[in-house]
Amino acid sequence: MIDLSSSESLVSDEIKIKETVGDIFADDAKMSMRNVNVFYDEKQAIKNVSLDLARNQVTALIGPSGCGKSTFLRCLNRMNDTIPICRVEGELKLEGDNIYAKNLDPVLLRARVGMVFQKPNPFPKSIYDNVAYGPKIHGLATNKAELDEIVVSSLQKAGLFNEVKDRLEAPGTGLSGGQQQRLCIARTIAVSPEVILMDEPASALDPIATAVIEELIDELKEKYTIAIVTHSMQQAARVSQTTAYFHMGQLVEMGKTDQIFTNPTHELTENYITGRFG
Amino acid sequence: MENDLNLNHHISKRFNEELEEARSQVLKMGGLVEQQVREGLKALLDADTELAKKVVQDDVRVNAMEVNIDETCTQILARRQPAASDLRLMISIIKTITDLERIGDEAAKLGKNALKLTDDGKSARQLVELRHLGDHVSETLNRALTAYARLDVSTAIEIIENDQVIDEEFDNISRLLITKMMEDPREIKNALRISWCARALERIGDHTKNICEYIVYLVKGKDVRHTSFEEIKRQLED
Repeated sequence: MIDLSSSESLVSDEIKIKETVGDIFADDAKMSMRNVNVFYDEKQAIKNVSLDLARNQVTALIGPSGCGKSTFLRCLNRMNDTIPICRVEGELKLEGDNIYAKNLDPVLLRARVGMVFQKPNPFPKSIYDNVAYGPKIHGLATNKAELDEIVVSSLQKAGLFNEVKDRLEAPGTGLSGGQQQRLCIARTIAVSPEVILMDEPASALDPIATAVIEELIDELKEKYTIAIVTHSMQQAARVSQTTAYFHMGQLVEMGKTDQIFTNPTHELTENYITGRFG
Repeated sequence: MENDLNLNHHISKRFNEELEEARSQVLKMGGLVEQQVREGLKALLDADTELAKKVVQDDVRVNAMEVNIDETCTQILARRQPAASDLRLMISIIKTITDLERIGDEAAKLGKNALKLTDDGKSARQLVELRHLGDHVSETLNRALTAYARLDVSTAIEIIENDQVIDEEFDNISRLLITKMMEDPREIKNALRISWCARALERIGDHTKNICEYIVYLVKGKDVRHTSFEEIKRQLED
């Protein structure tokens, strides 16, 4: 799941970032992270990162490969728990509750904080079952009619229903790449999450499918809080309201997307988004 | 970052070249426009019909440069999707050349009016105030273009502040010409022509001020258009 070879570069060169520039605080924070440090064994991948995810907004995490943005994203629903050598320190809260509390079930957390991955990964099941799986295991429907309703409404919210309504029993893997990704989004939505984490959700898709996903992200933010990791600067500029720039495990700058892409404060941010070498 | 856009620091060398090319085209256009203003003014004040004709004719060169630079910028925007300072450079270029083209039009007006005046056997030579305004405007344009080349925000701000003086000089000339017209109604036609020239110079001052505002935007990322001078200073101190 994680490319550990890239974590080598995370600590190879200490850069002088005294503190994050810009504004890490949200007026209405859905999630609040403070002084987060992440280690793979002795290697530190995230260094003292603090930031808020604003409610019903899209926050984009950008930065060069190996900067730690995906590692940070995975901390937000404890996906890093599956990596034995990974250690997460600091304060990570969802609606004020510590998501790393000992008595907290990570499976329930992941229902509240869903995730969409770079490569669409539908289950080798029917379209219907892909979406119905989460609600079933979490007991969100008491009968078939309720389950049907969840499946239909999730597919509608993901903008996929009209394209698949006549073939809900067909395998999910038979859909196009863009449709599969929207199926994965429908699957995430089906368990009524509060936060959706997206790790490069459109990087494997063509421009049309990407535009559909971006349009969907814009609609989804009305109901959910979204954090998206993307390598596409234009995508971050298009879909997010807030942008956080990571560099070698540190949060260099965070601020309004409008400002970051027209007039960033930190030289490292400027160099990255304009394609300059430092 | 001031005084240096680091245009040669992109990972893509071709992108470096494209941005440099766009910028150098603007400086070239600025040079031509500056020359047009100088020559238009000289033609007017020296009643030089040959020079006046040249200025009027050369306006097409200014127009062609505007179109070319626009095309260069369109290509860069489409291919590179520039961000941050590169984006601001593009925006400032696109806006600057519009003002440069307008300055070119005003310079051509000086030439046209010079021709009409000399046709009637008149000249603006005796009006010292017009010469003074013209020199002031020319020099300001020269300083603005140098500030553009050097990304010199403090000179740009001085020029923004100074525009008021140009406006006052124009008002003085207007008053003088009105008095002339009242004294001798036969002079109305020519006085109006000179007034249009003074107006053209005042407009050149306004366009020059606009260019200086784009310099502030380019370097500082602050949009200071339609802002009082005190407010501009306050914003830049932040």
